[in-house]
Amino acid sequence: MNNSVDKNKNQIDLPVVKSESKPSHWRSLDEYNNTSTDNQLKVKANEFAEGAENFDIGSKSKVSRRKFMALMSASSAMVMAACTDYRDKGEIVPYAVKPEEVIPGIANFYASTLTSDGSGQGILVKAREGRPILIEGNPQHPISKGKLDANGIARILDMYDPGRLQRPRKIQGSKLVDSDWKVIDKEIIQSLNSASSSGKEIAIFTGKIVSPTYAKLIEDFKVKYPTTKVYSYELFNDNNKQIAWKKSTGGNNYPLIDLDKAAVILSIDSDFLGTDGNVNENIRQFTTNRDFENPTSYSRFYQVEGSYTLTGSNSDYRLRLTPENYLDVVASLVNHFASKQGKPTMSGFKSLESLAKENKWKHEAASKLLSDLESNRGKAIVIGGKQLPVDLHVAINYLNDLIGASELYRKSESNFNAVSLSSDDEIATLANNVKSGNVGVLINIDINPTYHLPYHFTADNLKKVKTVVSLSEFENETSNNSNYVLGINHDIESWGDAKIRTGVISTQQPVIAPLYDTRQREAILLNWMNGGENYSEDIYHKYLQSNWETNIYPSLNRSVPFKEFWFATLHDGVTTFNETSIVSTEVNSSSVSGIKPTNKSNYSVILQENYFIRDGRYAGNGFLQESAHPITKITWDNCAMISPATAKELNVEIGDMIEVALNGKAIDLPVLIQPGMAEKVIAVDLGYGRTNSGAIGNGVGFDVTPFMTSKGLSKWIYTGATVKPTGNKYELVATQEHHALDDEFLITEVRKNAEGEVTGGGETFARARSIIQETTVANYIKNPKILKEHEHDVFSITKDFEYNNMKWAMSIDMNKCIGCNACSIACYVENNIPVVGKEEVGVGREMGWIRIDRYFEGSPEDPIMSNQPMLCQHCDNAPCENVCPVVATTHSKDGLNQMVYNRCVGTRYCGNNCPYKVRRFNFFDFRDNLANGHYKTESTKIMMNPEVTIRARGVMEKCTFCVQRISQARQNAKEDGRTLKGSDVTTACQDACPANAIEFGNANDKDSRVAMMREHNLGYHVLDYLNVKPNVTYLAKLRNSDSLGVKSEHH
Amino acid sequence: MSTIDYTKNEVNVKGNRSLKEIDDLIIAPLDRIPNMKFFIAIGITSTMLLIGAIGIALSFYYGTGLWGNNNPVGWAMPIVNFVFWVGIGHAGTLISAILFLLRQRWRNGIARFAEAMTIFAVITALIFPIIHTGRPWVAAVYLLPYPNQHGLWVNFNSPLLWDVFAVSTYFTVSLVFWYVGLIPDFAVLRDRATGRIKKVIYSIFSLGWRFSNRHWQHYEMTYLILAGLATPLVLSVHTIVSFDFAVSILPGWHTTIFPPYFVAGAIFSGFAMVQNSLIVIRKVFDMDDLIPIKTLETMNKIILLTGTMVGYAYSMEFFIAWYSGSQPEYFTFVNRAFGPYSWAYWTMFSCNVFIPQLFWIRKIRTSIVPMFIIAIFVNVGMWFERFVIVVTSLSRDFLPSSWAYYRPTITDFAILIGSFGLFFTLTLLFTRFLPSIAIAEIKAVSEGAQPSHHGGEDHE
Repeated sequence: MNNSVDKNKNQIDLPVVKSESKPSHWRSLDEYNNTSTDNQLKVKANEFAEGAENFDIGSKSKVSRRKFMALMSASSAMVMAACTDYRDKGEIVPYAVKPEEVIPGIANFYASTLTSDGSGQGILVKAREGRPILIEGNPQHPISKGKLDANGIARILDMYDPGRLQRPRKIQGSKLVDSDWKVIDKEIIQSLNSASSSGKEIAIFTGKIVSPTYAKLIEDFKVKYPTTKVYSYELFNDNNKQIAWKKSTGGNNYPLIDLDKAAVILSIDSDFLGTDGNVNENIRQFTTNRDFENPTSYSRFYQVEGSYTLTGSNSDYRLRLTPENYLDVVASLVNHFASKQGKPTMSGFKSLESLAKENKWKHEAASKLLSDLESNRGKAIVIGGKQLPVDLHVAINYLNDLIGASELYRKSESNFNAVSLSSDDEIATLANNVKSGNVGVLINIDINPTYHLPYHFTADNLKKVKTVVSLSEFENETSNNSNYVLGINHDIESWGDAKIRTGVISTQQPVIAPLYDTRQREAILLNWMNGGENYSEDIYHKYLQSNWETNIYPSLNRSVPFKEFWFATLHDGVTTFNETSIVSTEVNSSSVSGIKPTNKSNYSVILQENYFIRDGRYAGNGFLQESAHPITKITWDNCAMISPATAKELNVEIGDMIEVALNGKAIDLPVLIQPGMAEKVIAVDLGYGRTNSGAIGNGVGFDVTPFMTSKGLSKWIYTGATVKPTGNKYELVATQEHHALDDEFLITEVRKNAEGEVTGGGETFARARSIIQETTVANYIKNPKILKEHEHDVFSITKDFEYNNMKWAMSIDMNKCIGCNACSIACYVENNIPVVGKEEVGVGREMGWIRIDRYFEGSPEDPIMSNQPMLCQHCDNAPCENVCPVVATTHSKDGLNQMVYNRCVGTRYCGNNCPYKVRRFNFFDFRDNLANGHYKTESTKIMMNPEVTIRARGVMEKCTFCVQRISQARQNAKEDGRTLKGSDVTTACQDACPANAIEFGNANDKDSRVAMMREHNLGYHVLDYLNVKPNVTYLAKLRNSDSLGVKSEHH
Repeated sequence: MSTIDYTKNEVNVKGNRSLKEIDDLIIAPLDRIPNMKFFIAIGITSTMLLIGAIGIALSFYYGTGLWGNNNPVGWAMPIVNFVFWVGIGHAGTLISAILFLLRQRWRNGIARFAEAMTIFAVITALIFPIIHTGRPWVAAVYLLPYPNQHGLWVNFNSPLLWDVFAVSTYFTVSLVFWYVGLIPDFAVLRDRATGRIKKVIYSIFSLGWRFSNRHWQHYEMTYLILAGLATPLVLSVHTIVSFDFAVSILPGWHTTIFPPYFVAGAIFSGFAMVQNSLIVIRKVFDMDDLIPIKTLETMNKIILLTGTMVGYAYSMEFFIAWYSGSQPEYFTFVNRAFGPYSWAYWTMFSCNVFIPQLFWIRKIRTSIVPMFIIAIFVNVGMWFERFVIVVTSLSRDFLPSSWAYYRPTITDFAILIGSFGLFFTLTLLFTRFLPSIAIAEIKAVSEGAQPSHHGGEDHE
């Protein structure tokens, strides 16, 4: 360094010319003679030409030279800017002051909670440069443990939906027009005050509230406006279960169940893996005992159901039964155990044997159920669906007591309700008050009463309320009957907290500033309480913090100061503490007395919760609409599921319309023939047929909420419906054709004995082509190599490429996969997959990179169902690669089958040659094609994952094994100076899988789980005989039954 | 004379016209102003062409989604049309090259027309590989192995690339072959031309042909060599087109019988199409004598032969599918015959196998109306053959979960209609601008042209 400085010095010194001496180096004679000095000096003095000296720029213009230059350059820059059509309109600008935590190109994760759907699931929001792009489960959350249901994952789309309410609106004439918060706040506060002073009721009508601070806010609101009453309503709720528990034990909270400790599970129409209870936790616990490595403690699961649910499809014995007879099953079991224990029995019910015969259950099912319950005392549990009538729950509680199931009741924790749901009577009171004009102000928060309670909250009735205010993210049916429609923030734009369990409380923090002129629901209420003058965005933030500081924090007994505690909790998104929960388990045996059997008359109707649309709130979410129903594979519709025999009786086919009449209300519905349904049962999903749900949700499906009256077995189960075909047709679209059970597609005929029981046959393609491989637990224990016995060696005639270092591979454990579709939704979000709409799904162009295939086996009356997640298998001998004429699909040396979108010309040959049919072609610019480009707007553009190319029209795409995540992990490993390991990468589907069925990693790492599963006796490759060498290994499903419903094994 | 005298060659050209009369007769359509019928005909065909152009334009604008293709059925009507038209293009070279080498003189009357049809059919076919791609604007470039700085190259393992070369080679050789045959005729036209423009154009294209002995010698040699070059191409093009399917692993495509089966089918359909068109031409332009019934009968015999070969292939496919013991393979064929596309299968089978059997009857073989109808059936049947192969195999392959029924859309049909429009428009223009029958060759086989022991008299 010093050297160079010295050199510089020398260089500077050199040109100094000493006037006396002759220079050793000279450029001209003048210089040599040093004669020009005078001249030069003169020139210096007269730098400008003659006359220039007198030129005073100031006298010419007021503009200084400096200013002129500035103006000149600015105007030319403006002219140039105006002329260019540079497409990035300056949106990519480096931070002037870079936020400390944001590094461009690196994702940030923020822990938060979903509160608006009443689930209180802990989430992690992945944000890139400040834009949330993915919602995942929060791994630190003790209940969800890093998992999130499909709805939660898809919620990111709601956030960016262009159909969101973007500013407050008020009614003018008969139309809603955009307005201003100031104006609206003032008017509403006036209404509140006048209602309050005139003694009229102010009704807050809300969905489930999980936030303690929100609950406190409402209490405060009540203090300010004393005539306030709060009603909380959910279309699907567990009120019956709660009431029954109170009846049985006197306790307020029915207990949580340790499903992971249960060896035998009998579910009476409980869809606990789909819609009932805390589904993520249920799935995790249920699959714990479906462990192929531990076959001796494999649980056995019986499902009694009339419809065909996701949970039922995962059962070992599925006992078809019309809902009127559920009580008979429970009663006959009660009688069996109670008579032995000398306890009160229930009389007048059918016996299990006669039910088994009537409904043609597998011959061993009933006796096995009895002996299993008997021999697994303390390890067996009966679960009743939340939609079942109170009496049935009371009987189930009693039965659980008899079989010693209370040992499986969780003692350490119980459900917590920040605000209890209102009873049906309370809702009826509200409805009456509305009708009679006693309600002055009705504030609907996150609820859609006109749609959900169509008899009570009609337009006419709501007109009797002076001020109807609706707070929602999207317009809905109630908006049309409201005076004010206030847009509220999305979950990830909001502050909040949630408590759904004792001992756990989670926090919610915004990850992005509100995209539009909306406010969070709590802030709106708080602002009205505060007089509406001084609104600022952080008012609820402050309220939340102070509530924690004064009320929550002191009760937690933490040693750290509040600030530290608060920021640590926000960082983690959740905090746990010791809290005692009181679980009453003493069942009053007389509670079952007086329970009478129910009689079936005509057709029964089951109104069920849809796995994706839920109560209709997600109807506007394209990801969820397009997600195929796990059983029917129908998308963009609901339908009347009926059994094949019932269809024959009615003389209808798939897509025929039937008129279902129930309690004087008739609704036309399209038929879907669903194998495995109980006879004369019609199951329909609620939540469809929305009329004001934006471009996506409008007019999708059929609204059956008008069926919901008080005349059913429960609000969701009815008997005595009449059905007749209307002769009309309707197009139902599904991601799978509905032929898989037509007799012609069974390779071997179903064999039955004289009693009509299925004894064998019924082999399907799935088995004959070794797509699905399964065996029973007993057979597997007897012979662990049972599936390997008939394996053929296939060989290549060319030399295989050697993967010496990394070789990415996936394994999917079919024992764990329940077919919930969370993987698929997560893939849509992670990989920017477009939604194509009903019409395009109808012509087979859905774009999902991972789908759940469904196969039935056995007789159409009583089949067993198998799921199979199907994604690109990244074959070593990939048949897609060698047929591409332009080398647009290639193989990486770490075993990935790659797509080069830029090179792809779209011959579709690769798709044709793919035996797994996992390649998806962009027939259109699908974002533009759907609902007038609904998903091709500014807002949805910023939702896109910047690491994943948006595919152009005309190119092929498919699963990449989340190559962007692999690259990120490789980059991280390089930075840390370590070698990349298989476990460094998790794919989006793997992260989302609530059952942890998906393993991903390096197949060459012999210690990895994925390598173990590849080599496992139960591991198989789909269509292995093609020798394409797929890298997705499936672990054959073990069924804990005597037979697979067909020929016991495939040989 | 009802009995046939097998001791003598039947005449290939009737009418015993002088050379000038032959010139006049063949060139007549070029000299006169076309009548109303011609304008109506070309009006219809160009309307069809326009419909197709609109279909293609819409597909370019909105995307291939306008067609019925879906995710299992990635290839459908455009590929069906492509294979169909390439097949049609087979008869021309077969007639002009292989039959030339085999000294089948009856071919001389129909060679020119058949070759022209080959050119037009291949032009029509060549539209489809480009438009069927998702991004035709890049497909036209990326499918060619041009050197570039990105180091991008094409995949010589892909049958689609073989296709690019096979079809373009075939097109080039056919075009050259056709043009070489046209040179003496251009000279005739030049010599007869009255207008200055015509004269210049014909002079350029006749390459200074002076009917000199030396010219004829070179010409015959060139023609022979080109025939030799074109002969393997007749077999190779459709073989390679069949590789598009046979090289895949899809049941119903992955079959070793495909190359001969496709070539036989191509000749079958090509002859049917040539026969159809010729019947119209010879009636309209009074060329019955130049293309006698005997020529048509010979073509019908080839149709019967190739139709039977195709029928054999259909049966053999079925047998092998069963014999292989491979369930997916067997299912694919059962599904073809009895699945949702059985209507297409039985259309194909009846048109291609049953109906041509009528050609065993001499009366049918030699009567214009029946043979015309049968040839139309053959063309329909051969279109359906490609449909059955392409669509049924794709719609139900390995995983039943992915099965889907394919339904063509109105755009698919528009493009199909457009392809016929293009083909017939070009054919109609051809009859107006170039001699439909090779003048020089027809002279060579007309009576008296060959040396004989009785002074050229073939009569008793």
